[in-house]
Amino acid sequence: MQRKPLLGTIAVLSAFLPGIIATSSPSFADETIKPAVVYSTGGKFDGAFNQSAFTGAEKFKTDTGIDYREFELRNDTQSQQAIRTFARDGHDPVVVIGFQQASALAEVAPEFPETRFAIVDMVVDQPNVQSVVFREHEGSFIVGMLAAMASNSNTIGAVGGMDIPLIRRMTCGYQLGAHYVKSDANVLVNFVGTTGAAWNDPIRGGELTKTQIGKGADVVLQLAGGTGIGVLQAASDAKILGIGSDANQNGLHPGQVLTSMVKHVDVAVYEAFKAARYGNWQPGIKSLGLAEGGIDWALDENNRDLMTDDMEVAAKKAKADIIRGKITIHDYMIDNTCPN
Amino acid sequence: MSNVVQLPRWIDVGLLPILNLVLALAVSGLVVLAIGENPIEVVEVLLYGAFGYDEAWGYTLYYTTNFVFTGLAFAVAFQCGLFNIGAEGQAYIGGLGVALSALYLDFLPFPVMLIVSAIAAAAFGAGWAYIPAYLQARRGSHIVITTIMFNFIASSVMVYLLVNVLRPEGSMSPESARIAEHLTLPNIVSLASWFGIEAANSPLNLSFVYAIIASVLVWLLIWHTRWGYSIRTAGANSVAATYAGIEPGRHIIMAMMISGALASFVALNEVMGAQQRLLIDFTAGYGFVGIAVALMGRNHPFGIFLASLLFGMLYQGGAELGFEIPTISNDMVVVIQGLVILFTGAMGNMLRPGVGGIYQKLYVAWINRRNSRESA
Amino acid sequence: MEIFQIGVLLLDATLRTSTPLILAALAGIFSERSGTINLALEGMMLGGAFSAATIAFYTGNPWIGLLAAIATTIGLSLIHGFACITQRGNQVVSGMAINILMSGLTALVGIALFAQGGKTPALDKASRFQPITLPGAEAVRDVPILGPIYFELLSGHNVLVYIAFFAVPAAWWVMYRTRFGLRLRAVGENPGAVDTAGISVVLMRYRAVVCSGVLVGMSGAYLSTAQGASFLQDMTAGKGYIALAAMVFGKWRPFPALFACLLFGFLDAAATRLQGVILPGIGEVPVQLVQALPYVLTVILLAGFIGRATPPKALGRAYVKER
Repeated sequence: MQRKPLLGTIAVLSAFLPGIIATSSPSFADETIKPAVVYSTGGKFDGAFNQSAFTGAEKFKTDTGIDYREFELRNDTQSQQAIRTFARDGHDPVVVIGFQQASALAEVAPEFPETRFAIVDMVVDQPNVQSVVFREHEGSFIVGMLAAMASNSNTIGAVGGMDIPLIRRMTCGYQLGAHYVKSDANVLVNFVGTTGAAWNDPIRGGELTKTQIGKGADVVLQLAGGTGIGVLQAASDAKILGIGSDANQNGLHPGQVLTSMVKHVDVAVYEAFKAARYGNWQPGIKSLGLAEGGIDWALDENNRDLMTDDMEVAAKKAKADIIRGKITIHDYMIDNTCPN
Repeated sequence: MSNVVQLPRWIDVGLLPILNLVLALAVSGLVVLAIGENPIEVVEVLLYGAFGYDEAWGYTLYYTTNFVFTGLAFAVAFQCGLFNIGAEGQAYIGGLGVALSALYLDFLPFPVMLIVSAIAAAAFGAGWAYIPAYLQARRGSHIVITTIMFNFIASSVMVYLLVNVLRPEGSMSPESARIAEHLTLPNIVSLASWFGIEAANSPLNLSFVYAIIASVLVWLLIWHTRWGYSIRTAGANSVAATYAGIEPGRHIIMAMMISGALASFVALNEVMGAQQRLLIDFTAGYGFVGIAVALMGRNHPFGIFLASLLFGMLYQGGAELGFEIPTISNDMVVVIQGLVILFTGAMGNMLRPGVGGIYQKLYVAWINRRNSRESA
Repeated sequence: MEIFQIGVLLLDATLRTSTPLILAALAGIFSERSGTINLALEGMMLGGAFSAATIAFYTGNPWIGLLAAIATTIGLSLIHGFACITQRGNQVVSGMAINILMSGLTALVGIALFAQGGKTPALDKASRFQPITLPGAEAVRDVPILGPIYFELLSGHNVLVYIAFFAVPAAWWVMYRTRFGLRLRAVGENPGAVDTAGISVVLMRYRAVVCSGVLVGMSGAYLSTAQGASFLQDMTAGKGYIALAAMVFGKWRPFPALFACLLFGFLDAAATRLQGVILPGIGEVPVQLVQALPYVLTVILLAGFIGRATPPKALGRAYVKER
């Protein structure tokens, strides 16, 4: 499934940029590469999104012995300088993490036509950029089902980080999944903020969780990057269940995290590095979902006891049905609405 | 009978600030040692990052540009006895002026836009400074508190506008649309190409020239006009100023508005030059660096320019630190900034008795020797 | 009934959100009533939060973390005091310097110690201040009206919340009913007279900034070891400045400052919950404007449109002994 570029403006704007490359996409087959990663604000130890990217880079290092360089943004204005510095120093491929860096990459990529770039979570339409996007709504659908089945109060919650379509798409999938198994399930949704700060505010995340718990929620999903640590903490403090996202967060509070909606940013980073290493790197859009193994739900020794047979069977069946196309999940980002 | 020697000017405006700076840097070095790194290595990386390659110069001067503007902003208000802690907010709102003019008046030809955008920035920045200034002048509200409050209000207003109004359809980042290429400030590459020189790519742009012009204008305004004299008088002693027929209120408002306008020019460098769009928090603390820069530069444009250069170097070199030494992030630069403000600003007189004492001893010794030689 | 439930939850959140503000605002009051401007609340809070989380992590004991936080903020207060009282340096500049310094230093040391991008590791239950269930709370839980108020609102907070609310009458008593408080207020109003009476203005002001340090240290520890479970770079996110605003709004007096903190805490709690919510008939709530309200209200108050906030007379002026 090929999705339309999300940010048409980027494509249009890039037409204005100087030095449009007329040559075909760069091809390499080198033995030694100098990979680099630029993490988004929140940093590589956010326990979620960026950390997953870090895991992938580390795995590549272990597997191949090739070291990589990395930079953590303090604020989004540093993005251009970071990407440009890596490219100028001859790093290749340069993987940038997070949609916030899209406009910076769109700016820098044409300046270094020989460098291979990859971006996670956003589309940048350039001949030397690989854009990795995830169909997160497929995963949140399944954890929504599990949440509704695990809930005794029939009320479940989700705390989103930044209020943007990307996160609304996940809350929408969550809601649809919950209603798929229990049509009367009550789903509470809150967002932390409208700026990048919303990814890094565990205290506010915890506050919202406490309110949702007060309103009766006994399972709460975090979709908030570093903020989510506070969500899972508040859930654990109140002895209810949390659901992790991005990375497998089941082990943060064993027995208190029902499952995690895993988004394999690690695989995206690893694959981008590996493809560059073996010379089969491709520009363009890579859409990853359940079928490609880019999205999944986590079951391990930390949550095994929380998962009943019914739940496991239902989740596995739904996963198979989504892959086969028997269940189609509405994508919020197509029309910016969520059917109830 | 008093044998206290008046300290000569070179000690007052030269030696003492340098000693204070050395003290601040020495303490910074101790911090580096304490976290287990080698200060010499850190200095090497800083210097390499700031000057070691072609683009580095451009980045250093690009940061310098911001600090010149915010430093001048702080200094002009300070000459009038006012603490303008609000440069951050004034620059932020100035960015709104720049973005609105560049995005909505995009039919204007470039030379006209150059003037319009500068006027828009100045008007928005000065307007934002006007309210605290008015409240200080007419209602006695403490300007330190009000300007701090106005920084936060500016931040809320800008988040609201960027998220709900300026964000283009389909974009998720809270940022404005891109400014049309032909309306952005020419960067160093195109400026240099006019003279047939090839320059390395960096965000350095025309606004660096503005910064130099602004420094000269501020110098002329404060030290070479009647008005400058009267704001300095009002700043030094408002009671005396009133007797001299100077109305402090009006000067407070004027000084603050000029200060706000100067701060807002950061937006020309950032919004019209480097980023070419309005970003959340594009001011990134530059307003607060202005305090350090102004204090170090003794609130004089020449000193401010030198101090800005130093901080530009620290900022660009500090970015390099983040790449080169993982245990030291560019937070080191923030630490240095804090220490510089502490030692040159708050404790600026700590070394004065010591230095004065040494000077006095040397002076007396010198006099005695001369006297004894004469009597011999 | 649902409205009642939402109201109780919101007030419950207000108590949690205002706690750090109350402690920091009281800290500001102690310092400023003695004549020393304290803009450094934000930086001191950060320093306290960092020390508390770090030491609690190493020792596994939140109380030792709290002591470490207080020690840190007393140290910072003494630096501030040295600059302002002894050196007679500029008090505004000293405060800003400490804020900037701590923003960088906490991140730098955090990275050096834990290599987690300036964060401290997550604290387990034993290393944090845990909720306290007041006696009988479980028993009355299901009683209508009173049950939720006692169980949800009053019970179930951690000890620092109760300390903060207890600190307000305590501060009032110290300030208005003890000789120490009388002298403290006197050095902020008329240091010359206090000096004439044979009391050291300098020593008195130092004692005041130390009191300030103790209070703001608790406020920092609350953020990282009670409300949260680790330190994060710049986690105060302007709370020190809001506390400052609350102090001004409360006209430098403990009880009015408490109400200002509760008001600002309430606005923050409400804004957090209104994010992205579409209210029927109103549409999407402009949350940023709710968040800006504390600052706007403070400016309006300072402008003298709703009452007048008169600072202590000698505020910001170092005392020079007359000969």
